[in-house]
Amino acid sequence: MALYEGIALIQEKQAVVLDLGSEYTKFGFTGEAAPRCIIRSQFWCSTERRFKKVYEYSTPEELYDNLVNMLHLLYFRHVLVNPKERKVVVVESLLTPTLFRETLAKVLFTHYEVSGAVWADSPRMCAMTLGAPVTLVVSLGAREAEVAAVVHSCVVLRAVQAQPLGAAAVRAELLHLLRQDCGPDLHLPDHVLEDITVKTCFVSPRARALRWQSDSPPEPARSVRYPLARLGAVCVSGRARELAAEPLFRRDNELASLPDIVLQCIMQCPIDVRRALAANVLLTGGAASLPGLRARLSQELAHLCTLPPYSSRLRLGEFKFHRAPAHDMSCAWLGGALCGAGEAGGGAGGGRLLSRDVYCRERRLRDWVNLLDNTPPHHPQRDHLDLTL
Amino acid sequence: MAYLTQPDYVRYICTCGQLKPITSLYFCRHCLKIRCGFCICHEVDSHYCPNCLENMPSSEARLKKNRCSSCFDCPSCYHTLSTRASLVQPRQQEGAGDGKVENKHQKKMYYLACFNCRWTSRDVGIPDQPVASGGWPERPNPFATQINQLLEYYKAIALQEKQEKIEKERKKFAIRGKYLTLTDKTGLTGAMARNIAGLPSSDSGSSSIIAKFVPSQASAEVEELPEDYFTKEVNLNQITSMPQRLLSPEWQPTDVSRLHPIAKLLSVKRSQRCRECDHNLTKPEYNPGSIKFKIELLAFYHIPEVKIISYEPMKAGENSTVLLKLSNPTAHEMTLCLMNPEDIPQVDNEEEQLENSLEKSLTLDKESAACKPAAAPAWRRAAAPCVRAVGPPVRVSVPQRDDAAEYDDDATHDANDVIVWRKANKLGVRLQVATEAAASRGGAALLALALQYSYRNTVPPAANAPNQRNHILYTTALLSLGNVA
Repeated sequence: MALYEGIALIQEKQAVVLDLGSEYTKFGFTGEAAPRCIIRSQFWCSTERRFKKVYEYSTPEELYDNLVNMLHLLYFRHVLVNPKERKVVVVESLLTPTLFRETLAKVLFTHYEVSGAVWADSPRMCAMTLGAPVTLVVSLGAREAEVAAVVHSCVVLRAVQAQPLGAAAVRAELLHLLRQDCGPDLHLPDHVLEDITVKTCFVSPRARALRWQSDSPPEPARSVRYPLARLGAVCVSGRARELAAEPLFRRDNELASLPDIVLQCIMQCPIDVRRALAANVLLTGGAASLPGLRARLSQELAHLCTLPPYSSRLRLGEFKFHRAPAHDMSCAWLGGALCGAGEAGGGAGGGRLLSRDVYCRERRLRDWVNLLDNTPPHHPQRDHLDLTL
Repeated sequence: MAYLTQPDYVRYICTCGQLKPITSLYFCRHCLKIRCGFCICHEVDSHYCPNCLENMPSSEARLKKNRCSSCFDCPSCYHTLSTRASLVQPRQQEGAGDGKVENKHQKKMYYLACFNCRWTSRDVGIPDQPVASGGWPERPNPFATQINQLLEYYKAIALQEKQEKIEKERKKFAIRGKYLTLTDKTGLTGAMARNIAGLPSSDSGSSSIIAKFVPSQASAEVEELPEDYFTKEVNLNQITSMPQRLLSPEWQPTDVSRLHPIAKLLSVKRSQRCRECDHNLTKPEYNPGSIKFKIELLAFYHIPEVKIISYEPMKAGENSTVLLKLSNPTAHEMTLCLMNPEDIPQVDNEEEQLENSLEKSLTLDKESAACKPAAAPAWRRAAAPCVRAVGPPVRVSVPQRDDAAEYDDDATHDANDVIVWRKANKLGVRLQVATEAAASRGGAALLALALQYSYRNTVPPAANAPNQRNHILYTTALLSLGNVA
């Protein structure tokens, strides 16, 4: 193995893998087991004298500047390599805005002059860490929960589901609960809420959660005195600790809770893979590390299957869960590192790599929503599209 | 210090359109243009440890994952750890007769301690080390075997894909010979022949890895929340925070007792290069302890500096006076002319564009023109100057920088209504400015001032280039003169 790597290093520079999340950025080399750094997606903005988040932008120019600053930080402070003439694997969500993708491509190719880049979508990358042919990837990010079915390395695009049920939803609920306990004028900065969530919150099993809604609530868990930097302390009650993650499972008429969108995704997939998907669920993303979340999701799924509208349409059998060989947060990154080792690092499979020359000629990225890319070659519409090129 | 602590009152417009103070600008002597951190190419020059200031060759740094082998950070408070020694009596080993003599003297053992938060490597059960530096145990990644297996699998697939592609190409062109081969006649295929001869099958390498690969197995049992979670007291001091976890991305410990010392991340010295002519703008010295540069083409040493001495309050639609200090940092006398930005002749620019398009058509491969960083937001969008200089352009000549000038007895006094004073390579200038009548009260009064200056190029010219040493260059500075009253 070591020899193999040595040869690869001589042949070609090791490519880097970039997973630019809305909260944390994962950055490292292909072929390695973990990212070199996981840092907040923010940089010191000297003109505004504050830390600025990459996703805070109102104009394309501002985004361009943000990305230039962020990548500079990543390349020269953390990973310490020259960006020039080095390949990049960009791991991104399927629902990344076009403006963001295009701007990132512009920054990488024109400002940092990388030699090539592979755009890899995160569900496929998560599935790659398992090696299983059929996977249902449920990723709980900082802002959104995305559910996508990956069947033989293809994402079933029409079945992709997303809801704003990420870590932010848990944090908002936690603040709401804390305000009920400590008075409505409680203000806690985001990083403190994150810390409270990480250190104290958990997800109770379904039976217990039902009792919370009934008239006889269970004995709450111990409350925690959480010290604050200047304001003394805030008491995090057992109820707040336990119920903070409830919004993920709260059902309403929209059927937009986390277990609901999982089942809806399965329902919209081809009938042949539905059972396989249910038997290969992968729960990833930073928010998935909450203790007890996996068990609760499994219980909720088993229960929801028996209710309409799912009971009449789905015969799924048992839900089985995978464990990825990485921490929840860096699962998609690891997939990118594996993918890059096969493609960008080894130099094989040039088809998926977008090289700099090609980008300079065409100046756009392939995208699954773009008719130029998703119209079949002999489709009657194709001629019209080619004219516009 | 004024440059570091005060707001930037005078900002220059870089060639790329960014507004920067003179201290963060560079001047390329080869293209005679101002450059800034945004429009130059940064490069990693050398790796060093910021704590022990030890240089590390880049190949070694790559092997060690950019981490110093002897310096560590505290995993709890991120402060640098110190090595502490303690004397221990080695344990008596029974039945070792001659060992007793050796064991008499005490042995020094070393551990790591944080002087900030009092964390020590003993807290988490790392055994003390007999040597002061290095030798600390390395932890393997918990998922290493699985990931190596996956890596091999995907590499094998990539290889197979490649082979299939080559095979396909070959099949397209291969013409079957006229003659029957042995295998055709006997119905014996190559694989069978190999099998009979007892040889391993030809494509054993990749396909066996693919065949042997075991994908991850899903299980219906999910770890339940332990029952004592509802009754257990939470000790916040025993749970790591997010930054503590992310400091070691491979392990991400959730428990304080699992924290391990973190090897210090190396830093780099950067050299900077002009994107257009590929010449170095700055190049640091190799020695990590030195803060000097081998090459240092800072704008501060090459373009005239403008400072504001004082100004009258700007009133909309009225004229006022500004006192400016101009200084010439170069070793040659400089002719300076202050004017309005509109007066800068545009010839320069067009010529350059022509050159660019020529270059573009000539070298399609390089795409230097096509792949330039996109025009940064035009400075006019960011800042709309509402004050302009009036009257005839102020034309002055500023003597060269002379380190011995401070010993001169009498400074020349040719003060008039434009030049207020003159001292060595600096002079004070009185400038009449007018504020636009439409300027809103309370808005920032920005004066856009174009500088025309003569520049003596000291770079030895290339053999075939025309020997032109004196140049007339232009730059524009934006001066903030308080608010419109």
